[in-house]
Amino acid sequence: MTEPAAGSPALSLRVAIVARGADRIATLAKVLQSLGHQVVDSEGQPDAVLADRQRPADARYPTVVLGGTDAEAEGLLPESAGAAEIDAALRAVASGLIVRFPEARASGFSAVQEADSRTLLTPREAQVLDAIADGLTNKAIARRLGISLHTVKFHVESLFRKLGAGTRAEAVARAGERRREETIDL
Amino acid sequence: MTQEPNLLGALSDVLVARFAAARDSLAAIKLSERAHLGAIVWQHDVLVTSEQSLPRRDALDAVLADGTPVSGKLAGRDPSTNVAVIRLDRAVQAPKLSASLPRLGALVVAAGSDGAGHPSARLGTVNAVGPEWHSMRGGRIEARIQLDIRLAASEEGGPAFDAAGGWLGMTTFGPRGQVLVIPAATVERITPALLASGRIPRGWLGVALRPVAVPDELREAAGEATGLMVMSLSAEGPAARAGVVPGDIILSVDGTSARRLRSILAHLGSDSVGKSASLRVIRGGAVIAVEAMITERPEA
Repeated sequence: MTEPAAGSPALSLRVAIVARGADRIATLAKVLQSLGHQVVDSEGQPDAVLADRQRPADARYPTVVLGGTDAEAEGLLPESAGAAEIDAALRAVASGLIVRFPEARASGFSAVQEADSRTLLTPREAQVLDAIADGLTNKAIARRLGISLHTVKFHVESLFRKLGAGTRAEAVARAGERRREETIDL
Repeated sequence: MTQEPNLLGALSDVLVARFAAARDSLAAIKLSERAHLGAIVWQHDVLVTSEQSLPRRDALDAVLADGTPVSGKLAGRDPSTNVAVIRLDRAVQAPKLSASLPRLGALVVAAGSDGAGHPSARLGTVNAVGPEWHSMRGGRIEARIQLDIRLAASEEGGPAFDAAGGWLGMTTFGPRGQVLVIPAATVERITPALLASGRIPRGWLGVALRPVAVPDELREAAGEATGLMVMSLSAEGPAARAGVVPGDIILSVDGTSARRLRSILAHLGSDSVGKSASLRVIRGGAVIAVEAMITERPEA
């Protein structure tokens, strides 16, 4: 049993996954399990469904769609959504709410950005940030990355400064925005 | 008593006439019972629309502004310039569009569709104009044209006209709901190529990248302060075949610094397909060279 992520309510949802390919299903299952949710099949009366790109044809349960532009889905998240965003969206749609992402329109057709090197994160800072997004404490981050607590604090301070963030939640949100704006396929 | 000229009334009448003319170039593509997407009647059997919002289907139904249903097939899509073209099963009336260049501050009428596929109208101004630019997908867009109007999702993909009825291009969403126009010149360049071959070939390495700061201890060896870190790879893509792994930081491609993303995108144009690309990469704390064979980007 994995320990529940810090700060997340204990309530566990029953979630069905709709995706193509065993690898993708396994990846999503891992994310759900790390969030403390129970993965069930669509016959198992799920509280919510997590689907790739589009809703299943017989959408009977509130569904969070990752990527795509299915305007009729209860929840719509970008393909790059993190675990915390998936968790929040599943809980919201299971409660009967509609979830939209501010940049749900595939983040829009945009110009290539040439990033400012002074505010770019180093690979290590990005790893620390991913761990923060997973809800880990500094101590747990030090354990995960095999570095000292002092070093973790150093990285956290630096990435807060680069992202212009005051809190861990803000840092995760800002970094998510940037990741969507800056990730480029070559 | 002399009668004051009714300037507002005259303006309104002109706008009504412009929209009436614009309607003839407008169609709506059916996405579902409740959702449509705007489109431009490009020629008697071709519609042009916004690639980013068009579902990945081959058969598409549309409705003309007068309510006539038509059906067609996807003829090609180019994510790099956000243009998709649909070939209709039968000919429809298609007014000639005469392209016009945007002027900052000029009035713009934009035609779109509502959720049910009926025509809708928007009025605004050209909020910003700029020189040619490159999209994140690597396409060259002839000019930056930004409008100050809001569009509903169903209104994207329709035509935008200036006050003289000149065609500025196709409306689309930029970041954060910003409304952009894909210029007439871009649509005119891409559409015939899509009709001829269904796609605009682009060079491809098969990597998703994020700009990162090069760690201090490696800056001297790298000769760069920033690089592009490999987040994921397409399993059979050129980079994966060349042995690139997630976590690698690309410093340059054929001598062009990774910092200069625009140049790198330009370097991966259609003539790059089949050529070899030399990558300088940081892996495991050392700078190494990797040779990858550029292939054509597969359809998404």
